[in-house]
Amino acid sequence: MEIATSPNGTRLLKVWFAILVVFLYAPLLLLLIFSFNDNNLPVFPLRGFTTDAYRQFVSNPELKASIVTSVKVAALSSLGAIILGLLASIVLVRRDFFGRGGVSALLLSPLVVPYIALAIGLLVFFNEASLPLGIKSIVMGHIVVSIPYAILILVPRLERLDARLEEAARDLGAGALQTFRLITFPLLLPALVSAYLVAFVLSFDEIVIAYFVNGQVTTFPLYLFSTLRFPTLLPQVLAVACVVMAASAFILIGAEIARRVIERRLGTDLSESAAEPA
Amino acid sequence: MAVEAQEIARPETRRRARRARPGFVTTGLLAPPVLWLVIFFLVPVVLIALYSVNVFSLYPGGQYFTLDSWKNFLDGSPFLDLFWKSVRMSLIVSVAAVLAAYPIAYFIALVASRRKYVLLLLILTPFLVSYFLRLLAWKVILGDQGVINTFLYWTGIRAEGDPVSWLIYSQFAVILTLVYVYVPFVALPIFVSLDSLDRRLLEAAADLGASRWQAFRKVTLPLSLPGVIAAFIFVFIPTIGEYFTPLLVGGVNGTMFGNAIADQFGQSLNWLNGSVLSFFLLTVVALLLAVFARFLTVRRVATG
Repeated sequence: MEIATSPNGTRLLKVWFAILVVFLYAPLLLLLIFSFNDNNLPVFPLRGFTTDAYRQFVSNPELKASIVTSVKVAALSSLGAIILGLLASIVLVRRDFFGRGGVSALLLSPLVVPYIALAIGLLVFFNEASLPLGIKSIVMGHIVVSIPYAILILVPRLERLDARLEEAARDLGAGALQTFRLITFPLLLPALVSAYLVAFVLSFDEIVIAYFVNGQVTTFPLYLFSTLRFPTLLPQVLAVACVVMAASAFILIGAEIARRVIERRLGTDLSESAAEPA
Repeated sequence: MAVEAQEIARPETRRRARRARPGFVTTGLLAPPVLWLVIFFLVPVVLIALYSVNVFSLYPGGQYFTLDSWKNFLDGSPFLDLFWKSVRMSLIVSVAAVLAAYPIAYFIALVASRRKYVLLLLILTPFLVSYFLRLLAWKVILGDQGVINTFLYWTGIRAEGDPVSWLIYSQFAVILTLVYVYVPFVALPIFVSLDSLDRRLLEAAADLGASRWQAFRKVTLPLSLPGVIAAFIFVFIPTIGEYFTPLLVGGVNGTMFGNAIADQFGQSLNWLNGSVLSFFLLTVVALLLAVFARFLTVRRVATG
């Protein structure tokens, strides 16, 4: 007997799964449909097919400027997050020390602390320190919230990395840095790229922290937020939303597949084959 | 996306543990990330605390210690009511999200053994793609002149100009949107706990004469509870402080505690009161984390 479910149970689970997939994707599909609709408002009935909205957003300088800003913020903050996340992950996996639990709790806490509290804290901090608000302050905040994601991606990879490879390098006379550069880093690279992309997409989309510490700078989500007051801009917003979501999904899924393939080729994963589905 | 739940093993208990190194290497590696969190997270929290008792103030010369704002807040202020309302809404969202996600996680982990990572990716992708754009989608869908209402006008189910008013700017809209946003995220830790379940336990239960329902109730469910609790906390805590969801689809009825905080720091420019609200929220979060810490620190939910 299949103990997990009965045939009827399986059918019910499949139906529920299908319902949830529809629930998750229907709104996105509606955005896509209305981004091609020949109407300034996303309303029924559909009038006809047009790519005007896509042409408009490509020639909207403010929108383009906001995307450039967000790319800068995301590129810098995810770089910071993977460097700091890598340092923390190495220590958390390879060393034991007093206060390890507290350190790991501190580094992971931005996962659950409401962003509004983080954002307000940064606002107060930058004000007290008399530091200007702008790209830099957003980047600093985004690093805080991206570090836990970097750690959650890097720690399992480090744990499955065969420590004997590093030991062999050390036995053959390599220094600590040389071992890291020649052994650990190349083996970690796929996971680092993965962490970088996740942090990048997270930062590109982040609005709460950006909203409170942006100063005069407009990031992409902030620009979208500002357009809500001008309904005529809505078709462009829908169009650009579709492009951005498709690009993010493409990047993340592509990176995930690439990472799995590369890590399997590297063949250092002693446990992965056991974890694979039959 | 490989996902697993194991305890982060302490190095000395691991088979291939490295020898202990001088403490300064550990300190040196750990200093940059920890200092970053201290400067940009803990110091700001302390500043908020100091602002909340007026030791720091926006207005030069106006600093003196007082607990008046705290007293006002805790003594039945409308902000406290708003806090409890937010807690209720977050509870509904987290329970609904967990209930919706559990069968999905169960299906992926225990039934669909072949394509499980593909199915998991299918559920997770919307979460990874964008928070704000999905919010925007619901604003467009639920509005009085939105997708659903104009569809109802068009098909004649509702008369033109007679929208289903509770669709947007209501608690319903906020709760629906938040459930939508968090369902994929919730499915992950539950999947992790179910996926790491030893199938032989279920076989043993069956051999001993347990029905499917009994096996679920006595074996699967209890063993997946840590994942369920982690999932619950991962939604419940951040949503108490939701800001943009209520702002976009909540209207007056759907306002939450995060909106009050933002308002005190924004339009009202009352940092004293805003700091009281923020620090109160942070205290509640810290207490919840302390209570549930064992479900969060020992388990990890990771893409591997």
